[in-house]
Amino acid sequence: MLQHIIPASGLLFTLQNILWINIGVFIGAVFAAIPGLTVILCVILFLPVTYSMSAIPGMMFLLGIYCAGGYGGSVSAILINTPGTPHAAATMLDGHPLSKQGRTKAALKIALYASTFGGVFSALALLFLGPQVAKFAAQLGTPECFMVCVFGLTIIAGVSGKSMIRGIIAACLGLLISCIGSDPMTSYDRFTFGVGRLYLGLDLAVCLIGLFALVEIVSRAEKKPEELHMDTSKMHDNGLITKAEYKRMARPTLLGSLIGVIVGIIPGTGASEASWFSYSQARNMSKHKEEFGHGSVEGVAAAESANNAVTGATLIPLLTLGIPGDGTVAIMLSALMINGLNPGLSLFTTQGDIMYAIMLGLILVNIFMLLQGKILTPLFAKVVSIPQEILTPIIVIFCFAGAYSVNKNYFDVAVALVFCVLAWLLRKLDMPPVPILLGLVLGKMTETNFRRALLISNGSPKIFVSSVYCWIFIALIAVAVFTILRGKVKEKKPQAEPVTKEE
Amino acid sequence: MKKHTFRRICLLLALVMVMSCALSTTALAAETWTVTCPWAPDGVASLVSQKAASLSTEYSEDITLVAEAIKGDAATVNTWVLDNEAGDPGLVFVGEGLLSITATMDPAKMQFGYEDFAFVENLYSSVFVLSADAKLEINNIEDLQAYVAEADEITVATNGATGSEAFLAAALFGSMEAGDALKLVPYQSAAEAAQAVSRGETDFAVSHQSQILETYNQGGVTVVCAFDEGAIENGPFAGVEGVGEYGYPYFRNRCFIMAPAGTDEEKVAELKALYDDILADEEVVEWLHDTMLLEVDTMDVEAVEEHVANVKGIVEEYIDIVQPE
Amino acid sequence: MKDKLDKLGARLQTKEIRIPVDLTVGILFFLLGGVVLLIMPQQVAISERDVVNGRAFPRLLMVLMMFCCALLVGKEIYKIAKKQPLEYKTVNLLVEIKALIILAILIISYLLAKWTDLFVVGAVFCALAFLIYFRCKKPSYYVITVGMAVGIWAAFRFLLNVRF
Repeated sequence: MLQHIIPASGLLFTLQNILWINIGVFIGAVFAAIPGLTVILCVILFLPVTYSMSAIPGMMFLLGIYCAGGYGGSVSAILINTPGTPHAAATMLDGHPLSKQGRTKAALKIALYASTFGGVFSALALLFLGPQVAKFAAQLGTPECFMVCVFGLTIIAGVSGKSMIRGIIAACLGLLISCIGSDPMTSYDRFTFGVGRLYLGLDLAVCLIGLFALVEIVSRAEKKPEELHMDTSKMHDNGLITKAEYKRMARPTLLGSLIGVIVGIIPGTGASEASWFSYSQARNMSKHKEEFGHGSVEGVAAAESANNAVTGATLIPLLTLGIPGDGTVAIMLSALMINGLNPGLSLFTTQGDIMYAIMLGLILVNIFMLLQGKILTPLFAKVVSIPQEILTPIIVIFCFAGAYSVNKNYFDVAVALVFCVLAWLLRKLDMPPVPILLGLVLGKMTETNFRRALLISNGSPKIFVSSVYCWIFIALIAVAVFTILRGKVKEKKPQAEPVTKEE
Repeated sequence: MKKHTFRRICLLLALVMVMSCALSTTALAAETWTVTCPWAPDGVASLVSQKAASLSTEYSEDITLVAEAIKGDAATVNTWVLDNEAGDPGLVFVGEGLLSITATMDPAKMQFGYEDFAFVENLYSSVFVLSADAKLEINNIEDLQAYVAEADEITVATNGATGSEAFLAAALFGSMEAGDALKLVPYQSAAEAAQAVSRGETDFAVSHQSQILETYNQGGVTVVCAFDEGAIENGPFAGVEGVGEYGYPYFRNRCFIMAPAGTDEEKVAELKALYDDILADEEVVEWLHDTMLLEVDTMDVEAVEEHVANVKGIVEEYIDIVQPE
Repeated sequence: MKDKLDKLGARLQTKEIRIPVDLTVGILFFLLGGVVLLIMPQQVAISERDVVNGRAFPRLLMVLMMFCCALLVGKEIYKIAKKQPLEYKTVNLLVEIKALIILAILIISYLLAKWTDLFVVGAVFCALAFLIYFRCKKPSYYVITVGMAVGIWAAFRFLLNVRF
């Protein structure tokens, strides 16, 4: 490795690369901050720019978009209660309440610092443990992936709001919606009602626009005119994060980074899953559970560190095994291949300098993300002072344009509107929207792995306990369920006490 | 809102307008043809299309190709056919997956037929390979025949449930009289299928050569045979036997670029010439050959129709194995 | 006009509907689960040879959903029997009408963009409609918002090459 570091540094530290990193970081952060414009869409749109570049500047530009996109999604989640990207949904739960408390800058800074830490953590994991971690990841097969999904579904308990039963019903609805489209195991259509466009299922980003962004616009109806305008002049938002808060952020950030790396190396999973896993674990382990959902610094740090820790981790199977960890990385694979590089361990021998330059570049990308983020934070924070008359239609136009851009058709805009109506109706019934999102995120993966595992084992459920990794995940699920139940019991106790006193 | 903020926004808007006008003027200099790939943007077809588009301005002053990938398979092509009529500057990809497989298995999904298109060019030709879990020690077709004769169950990992890979596996094992023992295990991507076979989750996998290369290099799989007439001649899998040598059915994966039916013949010829020039570019040939492990394979209409009919015949014969009633 | 609307608003603001949340959720989603199970044979084709077919997972989900709904309804019936207070959600008529107006703006914007095949038409309508909805009287806001609507369209159309 060491013999490659010096030549790789020489290849990386050029003015051209630094410039492309910064352009990528800026585009990624701004793009992801706009509801409806996902990181993957941004990478697709800007991929042609890299055709005329060689491998390193091309990859640096795309990595800039990818990493900054991980952070950028949190900006709109914090500012306007609308996650810019699906993986920022968990950040929204605490980021926006913090902003409403007049701590917009602090919330943005927490997200930025946690994102940077997660990003650097995963970049170091890629640099030092890449091949070893990739070999471990390659051992995780279909039953293990199913166990990861089951573990993910335990999060529903933590995001169900007042009633866990209503949360489960909402999650069932989300999981059912994820069944729409072509059956991944047989290619037969399911619940398409003869609509050709539904053949491929519903795009997560489009559903998210309806479920969170557009419904937030409709919810303007619930507010009186004076409530619509946040009086920012009375807010003294100095962006200060106290020492105690930094201390509280440390554990969830570290744990979130670790979760992000683990989730990231498993192909098929991504930043959305990681941020929810991390958020849920941070909540379960926190001494201030009651703050979660009301502006917890731990919640923001946990979600953001995890979704950015995925960035380096997804590159591990890509660069070492040629397996893209998620959709965005799959497109980056094309940038490498167009330049004649077929990723895999053999490339570390034949083109070691380039590979190490890319890995070192990931650290550099995160550093520039931090620097740009620090400059952009005060500007982003100004969004809350834009009058609602202007901001509301602008958000809608971005949402519509984003939904259209996903597959370049108006059908997706209509789908976003349907989800908006659905979310509004569910709001009237106090049904939490987050479990629906979780169902959408985990649905296809859960079902596919469940059915494929049983197909391999000829219907025998023993396959789910067939490896040591399965048992590890079962143990994790058991711990998660136990923590949830203990939490529920603790929650009930303080409620019961006043009643006893009254009696 | 403060006055200077308002001024800044106005300046920004003006800048956007000027840039838009500049861009649209540059775009008007040559006729822009949008090439729609109805599959994933990181797939083989999309990659080759992007490469071709990036070179179009080098070979033509009149035509600029713009590659776009809109995942949606038949649904994307349905929309494309509705939106594009003769004379419109749009091209679309169709392959045997749509024209032979979907057209036979689920014709209701397609609101188009071969007659809705005017063939421009075939972008590449890919020879799929069958790889086996290295522990099985199956290195050639004779080993495979011996294994199949003994096996009660044969599991094959494929990319998708009813794609070209699934039909090639069905045709091979079906013609070895092992159709009943065959179990196709669909995965979300070729990379996942390759990993599945290397960790022993399935016995075999069918994939493009480039998609199995890394797993093969790491020793997880052996490459048993190629779905072609004869042995592979070049590249890392040179010498791997073709199933055609043993009389088993096969087809190559091809990717046709189509214009709307009724497009001016001269324009179609001009587009074909442009693609032929790009595909003859040494850099492209080398890239297709060394990185993508594909072959340049320009075709005429008769060859396309023959390919579609050949694959259709295989699909009809082995459909019960892939999608039993 | 403004006074008339204000009076109407004031009148509507006093009108409220109380919904027994758990009971409604229980009944509605139980029915939804039943409908999905009923239409499943038409909507999901299966093969006899599948180890676990395409209906298994959605069926499992619907059974779980209906079970949860039954729990909710059972709990509420128990509460009624014991004369315990139910959980209600109050829905204000004015809020719902305002929400419907916003939804109408969204839908019309979408339809205008789709029918004209010019996104900018829908975008400009959306900008103007929301400004009118918020009863904005500042001309500068109209200029900024419409300008930004056009700017967003231009950025997507010419910089990002999204043709709409």
